[in-house]
Amino acid sequence: MILRSDAAKGYSLSAPATIYVGFLVAAPLAILIAYSFWTQTYVTLDKSLTLKNYREALTDPLVQHLMLRSIWIAGAVTIVTVALAYPIAYFIAMKAHKKTIWLLLITIPFWSSYLLRVFAWKLILGFNGVMNSALLGLGLINEPLSFLLYNEFAVVLTLAHAWAPFAILPIYVSLQKIDPSLLEAATDLGNNAFQRFMRVTLPLTIPGIIAACLIIFIPTVGDYVTPALVGGSDGKMIANLIQVQFGAANNWPLGATLSLMAMLSVGFVAIVFVITGNRLGRRIR
Amino acid sequence: MKLQRIAAFAFATVTSAGSVSAGGADLSVFDWSGYEDPGFFANYMAKHGNEAPSYSYFGSQEEAFTKLMSGFTADLAHPCSDAVRKWVAADLIQPLDESRLTNWADMLPEIKEVDGIVIDGNLYMLPFEWGNTGLIYRTDKISGDDISLQLLSDPAYAGKISIPDAASSAYALASLATGNADNYTNLTDAQFKEASDFLRAIHPNMRFYWSDAGQLDQAMTSGEIEMGWAWNQSELNLIWNEVPAAMMRDVDKGIATWVCGYVHLKSSTTDEEQIYDLLNALSEPGSGQYIIENWGYPHANARAFEIADQASIEAYGFADPKSFFEGSLFFDAVNPELEAKMLAEFERIKAGF
Repeated sequence: MILRSDAAKGYSLSAPATIYVGFLVAAPLAILIAYSFWTQTYVTLDKSLTLKNYREALTDPLVQHLMLRSIWIAGAVTIVTVALAYPIAYFIAMKAHKKTIWLLLITIPFWSSYLLRVFAWKLILGFNGVMNSALLGLGLINEPLSFLLYNEFAVVLTLAHAWAPFAILPIYVSLQKIDPSLLEAATDLGNNAFQRFMRVTLPLTIPGIIAACLIIFIPTVGDYVTPALVGGSDGKMIANLIQVQFGAANNWPLGATLSLMAMLSVGFVAIVFVITGNRLGRRIR
Repeated sequence: MKLQRIAAFAFATVTSAGSVSAGGADLSVFDWSGYEDPGFFANYMAKHGNEAPSYSYFGSQEEAFTKLMSGFTADLAHPCSDAVRKWVAADLIQPLDESRLTNWADMLPEIKEVDGIVIDGNLYMLPFEWGNTGLIYRTDKISGDDISLQLLSDPAYAGKISIPDAASSAYALASLATGNADNYTNLTDAQFKEASDFLRAIHPNMRFYWSDAGQLDQAMTSGEIEMGWAWNQSELNLIWNEVPAAMMRDVDKGIATWVCGYVHLKSSTTDEEQIYDLLNALSEPGSGQYIIENWGYPHANARAFEIADQASIEAYGFADPKSFFEGSLFFDAVNPELEAKMLAEFERIKAGF
């Protein structure tokens, strides 16, 4: 009797989330899967099931090229962001006195729109933008640098800036959980500061680092607006091709197939990453 | 006393709000942004309680098509002539009644002949504005004698050119450059390959493929790029900002022309009388004069050119509309199969394949 009411309580508590996820994640995903097996010619949608889209997507070198580039850009963004975020998180967790103010300051970029931040980078890196004007004014260069914008570098830079707080916060939480007595014990046992960091602090923050990596990697692989605005033709990613299928090409079935393949690739990379991350964490320990 | 006054005020507000919904704003138009300019439809507002129609916007024809296909409803929409065949095939629009279009007789005779305006004997689009897509260049960097479409592939202009991120426009350019403009809507395999090769040849020079005209205008202004395949709107923005730039308007060297207009959607629910009031207001010579003088776009009504400021017409480059209709490439609907090929190939070219 008690068990049953517990179960009922559980169901009723999870019902809102279940309904929400069911309507807004599971249902669209099911539609996406259905579409990926259909075909489109001009304005007619042929609903007979076929693997044609998968064949087309798997054999197309353009898809492979863009998929690999997306994974590499997202990987680079993840590494850059986490590497830059760790010292900041370390400072706040270990050294700072007014932690709340520091955390607030870090979230300030989030008070403005994502699009606005991307445009800001465009203004900074542009041909007659802030960076070029400053360098020209200082006499360091004779003509504006053109390699700042419209390439992979610009995409990585913009994304790394936009996602920084997402890396700082999980790492900060994992650093804060470290029991200071463990660090004291390491010192008592003769470890210097570097050894103490490598043997105590870093292994204990691995879960935070993995969380930060996943939070950044997964959304950035599918980022559309940043490569569209600052990527030029050398910085285009898989999401831009998907957008073309849903827009100009009016080929939703192929777009759906590409979306699913992107999801699978991201999932695969993420799983491999988590497994190796955990192994690595254990070895350090 | 006070309460009474508030009640009276509330009543007045409610009744006036009621009359709003019965007036001009009842009519919904699905349009490019900016076309809600009241200068375009003064007569309509005069007739319908000084109210403008309600506008909702799209950023590209593909976006508009996708939105309409997924159930968006409106009374009128504003695509360009190349989209009409597809919209008819998708059963989105209904024919217009020529006899109710009071300005039809005054339309430029050539514009009525444009592909997509009339399909299978049915009039589907009332042409509104038209213009050119052409090669805009910095006159201080390149002389008018040297400029040509082939110059786009010159290695001297590495990183100095831009074309639209749109397959149809890119292939129009390539068809002109390779001498196959007459066959643009129906390129043979060999001609298609020539055009693709041209686009591949200019790809290394590309600074970016522009997706909004503002991006191109800024790059032209700063000198980041020196040549761009773009709309006449960009040329005007540059002229108005006193940038030394011009569009290569020589029909022999290659220029394209587009025509856009209004279509009657099948999902329309508003009284037809009101719809034709707006269509007739939009095609008035007075509206044409307004768009010519204030927007720098040529209008579809021939009489608009008679009453508009002749100096502006000259400066904006369409003193002789006939020459464009005869000598330029028209953005007509491309054969669907070829269009799909263009889209797929253009994605490859942009990625460097």
